[in-house]
Amino acid sequence: MSRYSRSIFWLENLLFFWCGLSLILVLGGESLSVPAWLQVAGRLHPLLLHFPIVLLLLAVVLLWLKEENWKSFGKNLLLLGANFTGITVVAGLLLATEDYEGDALSWHKWLGVVSLAGSVLIYFFLEKVENLFRLAGSGLAVLILLTGHFGANLTHGEDFLLAPLMIKEEKVLALEEAEVFRDLVQPIFESKCISCHKEGKIKGELRMDHLEGLQKGGKSGPFILAGNLDESLLIQRIHLPLENEEHMPPKNKLQLTEDEIEILRLWVLSGASFEQKVMELPQEEPLFQLASNKFSTEKSYSFSAADDQDVKELNNFFRKVKPIFPGSPALEVAYFGASTFDAASLSDLKTVKNQVVKINLNRMPLENTDLSFMSDFQNLEDVQLNFTGIKSEQLESLVKVGNLKSLAISGNTFGDEGIETLKKLTQLKRLYIWQSGMTENGRNELKKALSSVQIDFGFDDKGIIYPLNAPKIDFEKVMFQGSTEVKITHPISSVEIRYSVDGTEPDSINSPVYDKPISMTQTTQIRARAFAKGWIGSVEAKALLFKEGLKPKSYKLANDPHKSYAAKGATTLFDGIKGKANHTSGEWLGYTDGPLEIEIFLEKEQKPKSVELSLLFHEGAYIFPPESVEIWTGTAGNWSKLTIPPVAQSTKTEEIRFGLVAYDLPATSFDQVKIKLKPVAKLPAWHQGAGSKGWVFVDEIVLN
Amino acid sequence: MEKEILEQGLNHNRRKFLSRISLGIGSVALGSLLIPDLFSGKKEAEDSLMRALPHFAPKAKRVIYLFQNGAPSQLETFDYKPLLRSNFGQELPESIRMGQRLTGMTAGQSSFPLVGSYFDFNQYGQSRAWISSLFPHISSVVDDLCIIKSMHTEAINHDPALTFFQTGAQVGNRPSMGSWLSYGLGSENENLPAFCVLLSRGKGNGQGVYSKLWSNGFLDARHQGVQFSNSEDPVLYLSDPDGMSRDQRRKMLDQISAMNDLSYKEFNDPQITAKVQQYEMAFRMQTAVPEITDVTKEPDSVVKLYGPDCLVPGTYAANCLLARKLSENGVRFVQLYHQGWDAHDNLPNQMMGQAKDVDQASAALITDLKQRGLLDETLVIWGGEFGRTNFCQGKIAPENYGRDHHPRAFSIFMAGGGVKSGIVHGETDDFGYNITENPVHVHDFQATVMHLMGIDHEKLTYKHLGRRYRLTDVHGHVVKDIIA
Repeated sequence: MSRYSRSIFWLENLLFFWCGLSLILVLGGESLSVPAWLQVAGRLHPLLLHFPIVLLLLAVVLLWLKEENWKSFGKNLLLLGANFTGITVVAGLLLATEDYEGDALSWHKWLGVVSLAGSVLIYFFLEKVENLFRLAGSGLAVLILLTGHFGANLTHGEDFLLAPLMIKEEKVLALEEAEVFRDLVQPIFESKCISCHKEGKIKGELRMDHLEGLQKGGKSGPFILAGNLDESLLIQRIHLPLENEEHMPPKNKLQLTEDEIEILRLWVLSGASFEQKVMELPQEEPLFQLASNKFSTEKSYSFSAADDQDVKELNNFFRKVKPIFPGSPALEVAYFGASTFDAASLSDLKTVKNQVVKINLNRMPLENTDLSFMSDFQNLEDVQLNFTGIKSEQLESLVKVGNLKSLAISGNTFGDEGIETLKKLTQLKRLYIWQSGMTENGRNELKKALSSVQIDFGFDDKGIIYPLNAPKIDFEKVMFQGSTEVKITHPISSVEIRYSVDGTEPDSINSPVYDKPISMTQTTQIRARAFAKGWIGSVEAKALLFKEGLKPKSYKLANDPHKSYAAKGATTLFDGIKGKANHTSGEWLGYTDGPLEIEIFLEKEQKPKSVELSLLFHEGAYIFPPESVEIWTGTAGNWSKLTIPPVAQSTKTEEIRFGLVAYDLPATSFDQVKIKLKPVAKLPAWHQGAGSKGWVFVDEIVLN
Repeated sequence: MEKEILEQGLNHNRRKFLSRISLGIGSVALGSLLIPDLFSGKKEAEDSLMRALPHFAPKAKRVIYLFQNGAPSQLETFDYKPLLRSNFGQELPESIRMGQRLTGMTAGQSSFPLVGSYFDFNQYGQSRAWISSLFPHISSVVDDLCIIKSMHTEAINHDPALTFFQTGAQVGNRPSMGSWLSYGLGSENENLPAFCVLLSRGKGNGQGVYSKLWSNGFLDARHQGVQFSNSEDPVLYLSDPDGMSRDQRRKMLDQISAMNDLSYKEFNDPQITAKVQQYEMAFRMQTAVPEITDVTKEPDSVVKLYGPDCLVPGTYAANCLLARKLSENGVRFVQLYHQGWDAHDNLPNQMMGQAKDVDQASAALITDLKQRGLLDETLVIWGGEFGRTNFCQGKIAPENYGRDHHPRAFSIFMAGGGVKSGIVHGETDDFGYNITENPVHVHDFQATVMHLMGIDHEKLTYKHLGRRYRLTDVHGHVVKDIIA
């Protein structure tokens, strides 16, 4: 006997062995006790099963062709295939003793056994049934495919094969209808747990495909204990680390998301009810919040969508008509641009009257516009008519719109006469009616009539008195030659501006009223305030304008300014350029270590009557008024010191500001002036830099 | 002979090769049926994205972002920490600081003495939220606010922190949040830009704002923020020159567009039609903008509501009023910046000035939107780029102290637009230094704002230089707890 024949012989023998073994295992059924090493063999079933499928199908195809050349090859394949069928069936029967049961398993098991029998029979009776082979062969092919299908259903779940073809209506459930267990918890079980814990494959003796199973639990104990997170195995297992063998779902399966874990946890914590509705949960409950994210709070609409083309045609630069969100049949309409508003265009909307749920006509001039078209818009929910100049009669058309929930009619002067119409709008939930000219009594009457409506009367300015903001003083330059004009303005045109030029604080009674630009001919401090009825008078606006002084013959500084604030030396003080409110601008001379001392030599004809020192004060930056001011006049070196009042010293930290000290000069003749400004030597105790040296900053000396 | 024929049949030659290739091509064609976008251009893909936006029903339609530039201190506004007052001058424990990096301004400080708020706090509204005495008006609308006390960021200096907040990255060149929303949702009102920027400045220590903060980045230039000027004429060069009538302007535009049409027919360059559209939008803006920026017709009660400063162009109050008007007219994103919150020293004094600028107008904006029935669809955001340290920078006194930058915990608030009202989200430790509950990262904040606008932040992307970018980079979780 050749080796070939010997192999065929043994393989044919083996067939009988498989048949016998299968038979006994099938008969043994539930009562089998499988040792561990055989269990491993059984678990090879998912690997082995691919061989018989391929081999048998190939054999059937080859023999089907009835080609002489391929006949023996085909027969050998059939033999090999039948053997693999045998070993697969045996392994399968061993595996079936593990956590499997149910209809799918029986179908799979019996079809597998029949396949084995069929393949063996066909192999041995091939010669005899040659005429019938095509029939028998296709029968075998169908058997194999069915067996495989039921097997796959066991592992991957029912309908695995056809699921992609089953078009699922992805409809977001409305929050009002959602139930905690049915719509939050169960879908998680279905997608992540049930494939292994169901009829047919009850891992851990836990069934999660019916309520009794959930309540009963599995072999390790109770699955859910209401309110008891620690003892509920469901919660324990899903929180174990992924590497832990007990972790659920198993490592290689689709894991629960954070939200899903949280839902399960909160569900058990809240009592694991199977009936509770989401809306029955308290709003602040985290579970409610998770649910409200999951379910649609948007209302779904039963009416059909408008024709796309109709909607498209309604859109232009000044009118937008679009779905409230993609896919919704409900439309919202908004008008923009009051100056281009065409009231006649409102009637275009009739083509979508059943779909419009919201209209925004804010600020469109609707006075005398016929709004009766709205009564046909039965699905309208939200109408905005702020500042449109409408009269309450125009709202009559909304009375019959039963779905209307929100109406905004702020800024339209109805007065109390409007109440009669508004009272009829009982279907409303919210009404915005700020600035309607209604009296207190009118408001109360409306509130009473529309007791279930949330009415927003908005901000009421009555009884609130605020200070006005300061007026603005406008001028061309701080230092002027000859004369200059000063304008005072205020953003609120109805206010009264009062001002002073004598250094006193303006008040609402005595100070002159500003009505035209003021002409200035000398160095002046202008102070202005605004007043209006119903307001507190404004804070002051101040401006210090300098008339440019004489240009002396020459001048000399006794000591240099601080090197950081040297500007252009002494010339800075006579250059007619007023410094900005910033001591680092390079327009200011700064002194701290020693006094500013300057000698000024006058031309013969120059007879100044006064001297003005333009200073900067900013306590925060240690810049104070000078501690002392000394002024001398002199003729040919004979100095006489003027008696002058001391300078008012700072008492608190204020914002940066300009300062002015002015002194009259004697009428006697002199050709020299000497000025000495001493910085504060020790800053006062209230100051953050108490004890340190202060600074003096000067930008101009004006001799008039 | 037979063998030769057989071999001939098995031989590879060109004819055979070509005829077999047809099979290969056929299979490629078959496979390509599974890739719907394979042969469609990028533009179409983008269009389909646009058609699908928003991704779901939006809660808010528009955003007004009141950016407090310079970083207001959380400890003087919304994060009440009595411990800092009682432990005045004591050292910040290392167990709390946990190695937090410092800026160059306090890195050299040898001690970090705790300092409490100079301002008193009180509880307000149904949430019993603590708000300092600096904000009497804001505390009066507390029931409309969602205060987040647990914001944190990654940057510690102003420019990167601002850029991070606005663009999702610390370096520049990425599109700003408003640009992303303009790109994703477009403008509600085609007569106005979708993204407008308004600047104002307080008296406190200021930090710059730069146009990169409202840049379109790699998105189309039409998504750039349009900065309004602080003058009575907020959009420059918008009015016709003297002597030119509206009709003449129309005729001129018609002529130009006819010429542009000709060259479009010749070159088919889409840039030409884009340009024509821009001219047309500018023409429409000529009537739309003055209608909005004219504040003189506002009723007196509005002036009382926002405070008289709202009529002074360039003030925060005026910008709040203008923001309301722009938003009301369909501008998707109005970005305000108010400078001057960077109080490294003299903090109580500086904060008083800043609070005076913003308190009334911020609250007024919320009230004003509400009384018009618009707050439900408008999201108002108030906040800075980071927080300030619980310890003092520089000289310390209970009434005069400074605070340095602190990225680990700070407070912002939101109102309207689908966020829960009257709640406080998140908590910090007793030192106000670390977050103990519900941290909200800047990317989380951005994801949440996008979510409220109906956008899935992971799906709004733009392909640039070979990769897809999004506002939240690869981070961000929607803070569902604050969504109504």
